[in-house]
Amino acid sequence: MSAILELRDVGVRFGTFDAVDGVSLTVNAGEVVGLIGPNGAGKTVTFNVITGLQPATRGRVLLGGTDVTRQPAHVRTAMGLSRTFQVVQLFAGMSVLQNLMVAAHRHTHAGVLVDALRLPGRGRALRQAEERARAVLAFLELSHLADLEVTSLPVGQARLVELARALCLTPTCLLLDEPASGLDPGETADFVALLAHVRSTLGCAMLLVEHDMGVVMPLCDHVIVMDFGKVLASGPPLEVRDDPAVRAAYLGEEVH
Amino acid sequence: MKLYVSLALSGLPIGAMYALSAMGIVIVFKTSKVFNFAAGAIGLACAYFASTLHSHGFPTLLAVAVAVLLGAAIGVLMELTVRPAKGALTGTIVTLGWLLVLQGVVGWVYGTQVATNEPVQIVGDGNFIDWGGVLLYSNQQVVLLVVAAVLAAGLAVFFTVTALGTATRAVSEAPDAARLLGIGVNRVNLVAWGLGGAVSGFAGVLVAPLLGGLDTTKLVVFTVQALAAALVGRLSSLPLTFAGGVTLGLLQPIVARALQQFDGIKGTQELTAFAVVLVSLLFMKRSGRRDVGGGLLPAPLQPLPRGVFAVATAVGVALAVLLAPLLVDDVGNASHYNVSQVAIWGLATLSLVLLVGVVGQVSVCQAVFMGCGAYGTGIAMGHGVPFLLAIVIGAVLAAAVAALVGLPALRLEPLELAIATLSLSFTADRFLYSWPPLASSDGNRPVARPGFANIDPGHVANGQRAYAWLALGIFVVACFAVASLRRARTGAALTALRSSEPATAAMGFSVVSVKLRGFAASGFIAGLAGALYAGLVQGASGAAFDFTRSITLLAYAVIIGVGSVPGAVLGGMIVTLTTLTFGSTSDVANGSQVSLTTMFTGIILIAILALTPEGLTGIVSRNVRKQPELVAA
Ligand SMILES: Nc1ncnc2c1ncn2[C@@H]1O[C@H](COP(=O)(O)OP(=O)(O)OP(=O)(O)O)[C@@H](O)[C@H]1O
Ligand SMILES: [Mg+2]
Repeated sequence: MSAILELRDVGVRFGTFDAVDGVSLTVNAGEVVGLIGPNGAGKTVTFNVITGLQPATRGRVLLGGTDVTRQPAHVRTAMGLSRTFQVVQLFAGMSVLQNLMVAAHRHTHAGVLVDALRLPGRGRALRQAEERARAVLAFLELSHLADLEVTSLPVGQARLVELARALCLTPTCLLLDEPASGLDPGETADFVALLAHVRSTLGCAMLLVEHDMGVVMPLCDHVIVMDFGKVLASGPPLEVRDDPAVRAAYLGEEVH
Repeated sequence: MKLYVSLALSGLPIGAMYALSAMGIVIVFKTSKVFNFAAGAIGLACAYFASTLHSHGFPTLLAVAVAVLLGAAIGVLMELTVRPAKGALTGTIVTLGWLLVLQGVVGWVYGTQVATNEPVQIVGDGNFIDWGGVLLYSNQQVVLLVVAAVLAAGLAVFFTVTALGTATRAVSEAPDAARLLGIGVNRVNLVAWGLGGAVSGFAGVLVAPLLGGLDTTKLVVFTVQALAAALVGRLSSLPLTFAGGVTLGLLQPIVARALQQFDGIKGTQELTAFAVVLVSLLFMKRSGRRDVGGGLLPAPLQPLPRGVFAVATAVGVALAVLLAPLLVDDVGNASHYNVSQVAIWGLATLSLVLLVGVVGQVSVCQAVFMGCGAYGTGIAMGHGVPFLLAIVIGAVLAAAVAALVGLPALRLEPLELAIATLSLSFTADRFLYSWPPLASSDGNRPVARPGFANIDPGHVANGQRAYAWLALGIFVVACFAVASLRRARTGAALTALRSSEPATAAMGFSVVSVKLRGFAASGFIAGLAGALYAGLVQGASGAAFDFTRSITLLAYAVIIGVGSVPGAVLGGMIVTLTTLTFGSTSDVANGSQVSLTTMFTGIILIAILALTPEGLTGIVSRNVRKQPELVAA
């Protein structure tokens, strides 16, 4: 199996506080890896380091074997990385379709001049992006939302739209930051089924941050537990769940 | 070495004045988080007022005292108009409106030519004091220094020990909590603005003699030095602000000396202050201090509802129909000239529609981009480039300058960018427009436009009609270009960027490149406007692109509503109509009438922002949008 994503001894320090402290992990092609841990463990910061939104203080980030530690976010996106955000970050003031088209434009080419002067490439770019966006909406059975303004969506639908937007990038590695938070149990079950469907159809690797074990257990091939910026445990889901250290971390979490 | 020490020391008195004016800004900012861009203009009003009182026989100290009271009154009035504005940036743009109002009123009453009135001098003569053979300061300057130092110390103590000082801090840090504790937030704000206005006004009265007399622009440009000092004080510390002002005063003569070797260089003082502004803004970021609040001016851009779009398009078409006969009929030069003006100022407004409405950045230096376009055209033509190619070169130069301005904008909040661009406008007036490589030595580059007489043979000797067609054609193409840009890939990226930078980056767009392209495109359009203007008046000169122009352009864009491309036509009409009615701003002989335009622009800007930050088209679109909402509910 080949590693799609690899972190080697990554650290992020804010002032004197190590938010991420020597994390190493590997995600192989087509694999679903869960990243769990109590609040403040450093999961989101790790995501930001992987996607290039937060520079690492130390360590390396590799995508498909290439060192991208110094590459900006948009370059990593072009290399097949895609993500959703813990706090939904849809583009306000735009419709669902327009939101997806921003992502779908990764596959199009049209510069300022072409767009301003209606040179030939402009229409093609718009058409391709719209086709791609509509196809993804149809795949996730969200076509009826296409023309709604995103700020009017309830959180459950907003999370689905964010997933759809991430898929428009045709990722080889998809990073999902608590995609099921804010969903009710029924929605969560649907969401798990949907992710399983995405996985079996598209075959992209996933790194999944989630607190809800009902989401992590059925989906993940492999689970990594973080606490205080460090990797606490790592292994198959059931094994990790029964690890005493993990239990202690979570019980400690629940006490306060 | 000794030379430099005495050079530096010679800047001390004026440095103290920068400090004083800056403290007026800081006092206001500490409580309300609003940046008072009108600080210099308050000083201007107070200096003229004191001088008038004095010439009517008021004793010096009484005249000064009454003028300072005027400053306080202006401050209080400003607070009342800033209060309804939502967000620090909108409030700050209201103070730009006040800058226009004050500058307009003073120009209207006193004329814009260098005034015959003498500034009030607190102590009589300007004789130098002999300190063991060293003649450094006049007795007048010594008094200024002492007064400024005592006042600064007094204010600093006042803010640390008094109840008001504590209340001020509470209000600025947590207005809601302060309200719960029974602190009258509005009252504290009023007091702070009144005090700030008084201090800025006092600084104006004191500094007028040092600036060599009463002058309607010098006293306003003075704001850039005050801004610099206030930023050194990180907008919070009065002692640091004082130190900042004094240091700037000490620095300026040295910089002037160092740059002396370049022939014909002017405005080194403003240049120094601008550098200080830029460095402190970027440094505040670096050290993680986020004292300057954000608060974006336009609400997240809503797509215009079809109704409004149709109305705006109809208005645009109607205007075009109205204009067309002017071009077909032989109605004479003046009308053709005015059609060109509508197109040119429409282009200028359009460049702001793109920058503020689409890119979501605020620029108070759009006229500087125009100036670059104009001078660039002049320079290119000086090298034998034909006119039509030269205007493109001018526009490209403007685009490059705009991209340069966009670089710090990558790191700055919108309010900070407003500070930086306003400072740039002030600096351009004094420095750029007389900088030999760009402007020629007399600040005017000829821009002949050969070819237009041939296109339009026998009609008018200088081809005004053909030129009007050219300008109008470029304007229409530019409008379509912006509209089509906005609906395509680039527009999608720009709109996304305004909503969430991390998400846009995660979607594969380079934040740096998208933003800089937005700036460059806006600069290109503004540069085209400047180039066409230079062609129209057959010469490039900075006077048409001064800071007042930058501010009024932003004002028109805000008044009309920054989100609307057809609104740009309206912008062009307004500028041209006011020019027709009151004369051009560059026309000094017309000073009083021009000042009326400036004043009314300021008043309308203040009024509109009190009503809605979305401008006229915003008001219309909200009313149109209401109906579907009712149906849905
Ligand atoms: N920009 C920042 N500056 C300083 N500290 C930060 C910054 N970003 C995150 N932190 C801190 O780093 C720690 C890890 O945060 P992170 O958001 O990664 O936690 P998490 O594991 O995602 O938790 P949660 O489950 O609550 O989302 C937290 O203590 C947070 O306060
Ligand atoms: Mg998190």
